[in-house]
Amino acid sequence: MLAFGVSVVLNRDPVASALSLVGSFLCLAALFVGLDAFFIGVIQILVYAGAVMVLFLFIIMLLDLRAEKRRHFNRLALAGGGIVSVAFAAELIHVLAQFPMGHLPFRPLGVEKLDDVRLVGTTLFSNFNLPFQVVGVLVLVATVGVVVLSRRELK
Amino acid sequence: MFPPITLEILVLCLGLLLLLVESFTNNPDKRILAKCAILGLLCLFIGSFFVEGNPALESIAPGSFWHFYSADSAALFFKRIALLTTVGVLIMSMDYQQVLAKFIPSSRPGAGLGEFFCLPLFTCTGLMFMASATDLILAFVALELVTISFYVLVAYMRGNAATLEAGVKYLILGALSTGFVVYGITWIFGLTGETNLAKVATKLALLEGSDTAILFSLLLVLVGLGFKVAAVPFQGWVPDVYQGAPTPVTAFLSIGSKSAGFLLLLRVLEPFLGVASIQAKVLCILTLIAGATLLFGNLAALTQDNFKRLLAYSSIGHAGYLLVAVASIGTKASSFGSIGSTIGFYLFGYLLMTLLSFLVLNIVSIHSRGDDIIQFNGLAKRSPFLAYALLASMSSLAGIPFTVGFYGKFLVFAQAINAHQYVLLALGIITVAAGFYFYLRVVAAMWWQDPAIVTPIPISPLTKIAIVLLVAGIFIFGVCPKPILTLLSPLAAL
Repeated sequence: MLAFGVSVVLNRDPVASALSLVGSFLCLAALFVGLDAFFIGVIQILVYAGAVMVLFLFIIMLLDLRAEKRRHFNRLALAGGGIVSVAFAAELIHVLAQFPMGHLPFRPLGVEKLDDVRLVGTTLFSNFNLPFQVVGVLVLVATVGVVVLSRRELK
Repeated sequence: MFPPITLEILVLCLGLLLLLVESFTNNPDKRILAKCAILGLLCLFIGSFFVEGNPALESIAPGSFWHFYSADSAALFFKRIALLTTVGVLIMSMDYQQVLAKFIPSSRPGAGLGEFFCLPLFTCTGLMFMASATDLILAFVALELVTISFYVLVAYMRGNAATLEAGVKYLILGALSTGFVVYGITWIFGLTGETNLAKVATKLALLEGSDTAILFSLLLVLVGLGFKVAAVPFQGWVPDVYQGAPTPVTAFLSIGSKSAGFLLLLRVLEPFLGVASIQAKVLCILTLIAGATLLFGNLAALTQDNFKRLLAYSSIGHAGYLLVAVASIGTKASSFGSIGSTIGFYLFGYLLMTLLSFLVLNIVSIHSRGDDIIQFNGLAKRSPFLAYALLASMSSLAGIPFTVGFYGKFLVFAQAINAHQYVLLALGIITVAAGFYFYLRVVAAMWWQDPAIVTPIPISPLTKIAIVLLVAGIFIFGVCPKPILTLLSPLAAL
């Protein structure tokens, strides 16, 4: 998964980048399945690897691909970004090393199999109903925004 | 008396209704939508004084929204700030629509303007939910609602290169900061297994030996919220985005986004400051951020020639003063009230004076085609009314006595003295002096320079009323701040 993630960033060809992202999503789904969270694993594949990636590929096809190849990177920005990400990774490792809970193995599940679709459903629609409704508003705003900003000529 | 969540629901319904009306009518004059929205929001503002408080803790059912939502006095106060800001922004948008229409590709007059009047209502809903959120999930979702509607509003004039640049910068940096916030929230959840802030507080106090992890999770959230409130070193986007965005949106960003961000910051900090072993470190981080923000915002503003950019740096500077108050948390309560009420009062004052300066800037820039300080030359001759209004807001922003700006700064410095933050106090006093120079430079331009254009500036009646009310508010609450402080007084110690 990490290898795919790195190749998303390093690949100059957008299509190869996007396909690496699909690979990364698939590996993440495998991780979820390995943790016995089948529902999230399946959703991960359906939503991200399926719907979101198809959309990405469509956008890539609409863009001018040659412009990306002609682009030159600013050395200084590259170095700065590199230093920041290395520092962040070092900090993360340091924190994890000092963190007692980070060394514990996963506790085994209490029950053999979880009814995870039902659990996710009830949590989402009963306990977390309010945030869920607000997400609905958010999606509406995003839709309005897309229409307003992308129509060639507004009527 | 009605349940407080009705306020959010009604703002949302108003937004939906106006969107529907907009799409099914052919009236090219969309200002009627803004007028309806302003009327509705003002009714809700009055209604906000008649809402019920929080229910008793024992009576909350397991699946109830009260686990996410609180209607304490701070939440209500910030909801009112959100409502008033939105009203101000809509008034500005009505004047601004002629500029807007120029930069939107449209096939007939008035097309695409309706959404510009409806979207602020959704932003307002988000701000109000953010003010009430006591759960990280709801806080995050509301924050995103606000941010995403701002992405659209900032980039709205897509025929203008500066606006597009602002939109892209805001989108990329906003997404980055969102990433930090989510990552921080997952760390908090991983540490405590809770997202409710009250439960997080009890769990954090019980954790032992994971100080670094707790600090790390707080740091991630601080980075994200730092972007939202424009604290140094996360302020890079502010000047360009403020300058490029449509003026009403800039005002909205600088008031709405900041006030909700600060309330969220206080709510998130509370459980962390309860952990005795990391309290000193957290305060040290906050002190550093506050000092840097004060210095950067006020010193960088000294050389600005563009008024909108000047206000952007001033917005960073004021975030600095607010952060001084935040960094003074944790000591015994002073005789000047809690930190929460200081911040609430400061933000209220900030609302009045910033909204006023943006209102004036909006009209002047529409009629002189630019928002450089040169455009304000001789404004006293062109329109004495606007010149005196801007004089009021500039003197309040600089902190001249008998204005809200002065009393706000006074409270902040009193809290800093109480918490023995003498370095921040010294920085604060130096930067106030710098502030006098760059705020009063605009005043000097209005009175001592000759105007390039001598035509008087027409002002719409609604704008005139808003300006008069804001000027009155600046002086009335500057001389007698008691009503605002009473509204804030039952606030928890924070």
